Amino acid sequence: MDRAFRALIERTFGDLLTGPVRQRHDETEMRIRPGDVPQVMRTLHDDPRLRFEYLSDLAGVDTGTVFQVVYHLFSVVTPDWLRVVADGIPRDQPRIPSITFLWKGAEWMEREAYDMFGLVFEGNRDMRRIYMPDDYVSFPLRKDFHLPDDASRSPGGGVRPMEDATTPADAAAATSRRTATAR
Amino acid sequence: MAAYWSRLSVGSRAFLVIVPALLVVGAVLTVAIALLLGPVLDFLGANMPLVRFVAAATAIIVMTIPIAFVIIFMELKVIAAMNLRVGPDRVGPYGTFMSVVHGLKVLAKEDFTPRGVDVPIFTLAPIVVFASIPLTLLVIPFAPGVFGQDFNIALLYFFAIGGMSVVGLMMAGWASFNKYSLLGALRAAAQAISYELPLTLSVVGIIILAGTMSLNSIVQQQAGSLFDWNIWKQPLGFLIFFIAATAEANRTPLDMTEADQELVAGFATEYSGMRFGFFFFAEYVNVFVVSALSVVLFFGGWNAPFDWPFPVTLSLDPGGLGLGLVFLIALAPVVGTIVLGLPFWLLSSRVSTLKALVIGFILFNLLVVGALLGWAFVSAAWVSGLAWMIGKTFVFVFIFVQMRGTLPRVRVDQLMSFAWKWLLPAALLNIFVTAIAVSILANR
Amino acid sequence: MTSSTRPSLDDPALTIPLEHAGIFEPIPLARTERQQEFYGLKDGEMLLNMGPQHPSTHGVLRVVLKINGEQVVDLDPVLGYLHRGVEKIAENSDFHHIISQLDPLEYVSSLFCEWSPVMSFEKLLDVQVPRRAEYIRVLTGELNRIASHMLFLGWYALDLGGITPILWSFAERDEIVEMLAAITGAKLLFNYFRIGGVNGDLNHEFMSRLGDWMSRAGAQLDAGMGLLNENEIFVRRARGLGVLDRETALRMCATGPNLRASGVPFDIRRAHPYSVYPELEFDIPTRREGDSLARYLLRMDEVRQSLRIIDQCLHQMPDGPVMARLPRLLRPRPGRAYSAVEGPRGQYSCYAMSDGTDQPFRLRIHDPSFLHLQLVGLLMPGNLIADTMAIMASLDPVMGGVDK
Repeated sequence: MDRAFRALIERTFGDLLTGPVRQRHDETEMRIRPGDVPQVMRTLHDDPRLRFEYLSDLAGVDTGTVFQVVYHLFSVVTPDWLRVVADGIPRDQPRIPSITFLWKGAEWMEREAYDMFGLVFEGNRDMRRIYMPDDYVSFPLRKDFHLPDDASRSPGGGVRPMEDATTPADAAAATSRRTATAR
Repeated sequence: MAAYWSRLSVGSRAFLVIVPALLVVGAVLTVAIALLLGPVLDFLGANMPLVRFVAAATAIIVMTIPIAFVIIFMELKVIAAMNLRVGPDRVGPYGTFMSVVHGLKVLAKEDFTPRGVDVPIFTLAPIVVFASIPLTLLVIPFAPGVFGQDFNIALLYFFAIGGMSVVGLMMAGWASFNKYSLLGALRAAAQAISYELPLTLSVVGIIILAGTMSLNSIVQQQAGSLFDWNIWKQPLGFLIFFIAATAEANRTPLDMTEADQELVAGFATEYSGMRFGFFFFAEYVNVFVVSALSVVLFFGGWNAPFDWPFPVTLSLDPGGLGLGLVFLIALAPVVGTIVLGLPFWLLSSRVSTLKALVIGFILFNLLVVGALLGWAFVSAAWVSGLAWMIGKTFVFVFIFVQMRGTLPRVRVDQLMSFAWKWLLPAALLNIFVTAIAVSILANR
Repeated sequence: MTSSTRPSLDDPALTIPLEHAGIFEPIPLARTERQQEFYGLKDGEMLLNMGPQHPSTHGVLRVVLKINGEQVVDLDPVLGYLHRGVEKIAENSDFHHIISQLDPLEYVSSLFCEWSPVMSFEKLLDVQVPRRAEYIRVLTGELNRIASHMLFLGWYALDLGGITPILWSFAERDEIVEMLAAITGAKLLFNYFRIGGVNGDLNHEFMSRLGDWMSRAGAQLDAGMGLLNENEIFVRRARGLGVLDRETALRMCATGPNLRASGVPFDIRRAHPYSVYPELEFDIPTRREGDSLARYLLRMDEVRQSLRIIDQCLHQMPDGPVMARLPRLLRPRPGRAYSAVEGPRGQYSCYAMSDGTDQPFRLRIHDPSFLHLQLVGLLMPGNLIADTMAIMASLDPVMGGVDK
């Protein structure tokens, strides 16, 4: 838990942060708006005091109400992991700028986030599904994903009772609709 | 009648059908032979070369089958030993029937022609590949007097016919209507053509030294002892020849054509069943053929490495025993069985009398066969020559198999650059040096 | 049964007209820029499909190659044949049970697949792991690393055409998994780590097998590696192949041996230490060339370092419990945790979110093979088809991790 680092982040980004910088164990978390992602990432990568050259992870999250994209970065400057949360992506317009201009390796991670959540990364040259077949319609990791709807539409679908499209009324209870409490 | 038939077992039904049939066939044959034997023998006697040719052709085609089986089994077991494994050991004693089972399996598979292929070429390709191999066996001398044909361009004939298999591979790849096959066939053709030149040029030194291309003469000129073999006179030639032969036989490390890690099965992807079997049958026999040729050209062929004082004639005269010969023939098996079975019966309590007698009988037979073979070996030149030839050939086959188990594969462009940049100049150098040496020694 | 009506091959509904019979790959609608770039064929180029069933792709992977003669111009991997939806399953499981579901991700090095989620959960729950358990985790983890590198060695040689090294390295691997089976009960998917420790202490059989193996390991590994290191054909094929330079490796988010072979000495065990690695002495092998030979030699160096670590673990292991006391029903406070471990293939990390219930709200597994497959498309162009498998094997992907 690097207090000096927290101060450095707050100084560098100031008003780009949408919430306080939180630290727990060996992680430092900062929240930004999705539109600011390219600027923040470029600063993190290029700034000689920060030097975050390693992108460890790029994940999509569905909190039930909004989407988030969570980046994890590492630098030789600090022993902590830096977590950048791009919060508040609306469900009906899930678009966020891509960071493939900095790390080409993020291309497939963004494709995976698109495949699983429907998040469209603008600027990614290859925005297509990576795991699911090309004609798949739903986004599996969303909280309102309903397996019977989708499985019944696939070519081999509807075979097992669980994939039956004509589900009884309590089908809604079977899907996982959960919402994250604040934090 | 039907009632009796239905109550018989399968075995007895077979017996009742086959035995009368055999008797009838035997009777017909006896009559035919009695009537026709004279004229037939006269005809054959008048056309001896034709008879010889037919016999040789049949012999070489029939010979390829056990050779391939033995080599396949060797490959399985030797590579298993190098891999710290056991290899096949269930089918037959120590797995020796595995090759037979492989052959039967390949015959039993569904043999289909995929849609879209060019049917005549698709069907002929395995035949072309296979046909070229026994034809090359025709000129290899296995022992003094044991060879198919001998003519004074035998070596040239060998390489010409051996190159025909490439045509078959190209036919297979093209007719398969499949990109993998096409790529595999192109690679195979490129590799074969690249290595043909060093292969043929590396033996020109031998031809200069021997003065003839007849393989029989080349072997006869290496008679004497170990130091008369051509390997001492043409070491570089042998090296080039061996490497080029590995490429021609499509063996690891130069087996790009059948790299199943890369292109599934290369040119043979669309083949199944016996057609596929034909390709790989041909490959194994090819291994034997190039080994045999290496031995013939460089290692003395059927010559023993040291002088062998044969023929040895026994000083016995069996005919002089008269009636005693009959007694000898009747009593020897009995006495031999008892004498050889006695130790087992006496010294082990688990062996019953019957078992001891059986063991004794088997041992006696082995002893007699061994003695006969030994006598044939020392008294008949062709037997010892054949044994030496086969032994030396299988040493080289073993080397091929060992290379397959040990070495990784050379990449196709490295393979070709090696042939054109290293082997071909080396072969030419070999020819020049040999020619110069021969002319210097001749002028002296 | 009724007479089975087998479909007749002459049924017009089933036959493809001959003129279309040759086109077997459905060329997708080229919607993205990359697809247009890839599927637009120039003169002389051909698409070749190394399909999901192939003797040599490391699992079910489909690779579409664009070739010009024998040379590969471009490459498009198609994934998803082994996708099992593990992240979705995790949202319906609870924290204890999900560990066993995460083993089959990188099945070759399954203890690392368990290690980073377990560390994330321990951070969420603020659980202190006993020191003996940490040492056992390091010991078994390093054994698993050696086993995984042995498999890499065998596979790499097999993809180049040598059929013997894989059997020799599997003999080594056999001994290691027998040891691990003595304590975990399994040979591939160990299911050994638990939140708060490990499932069961070391036993006598494990220690005797380990001692026996350690006395021979160095010499045996030398013999096995000598088969390849000094083989001219192997070295000529591996040297200079698929050179990955430092800058590209960082931009492509490569980790592990692939990154270290390109000259970046980044190892999470030293850069961001976890468990008891700060107390252990070992080096981080790094090489500069970045070609396949460097990656291969680097992994062999890592095996030696792992042997050092195992030795130290055996000497320094403290006594004590192997599992922290935890309630059966785990309800962490709402929060997020991220932890990464250095697996044999690279950085294996897990991001866990909890919403106060006993089920994870989001479990994100990041594995290195996924990113390394992007490297193949970068390193291949200009090389020959035969090298596709060689390069892919030198990057050591495991499709279970790639497809999750």
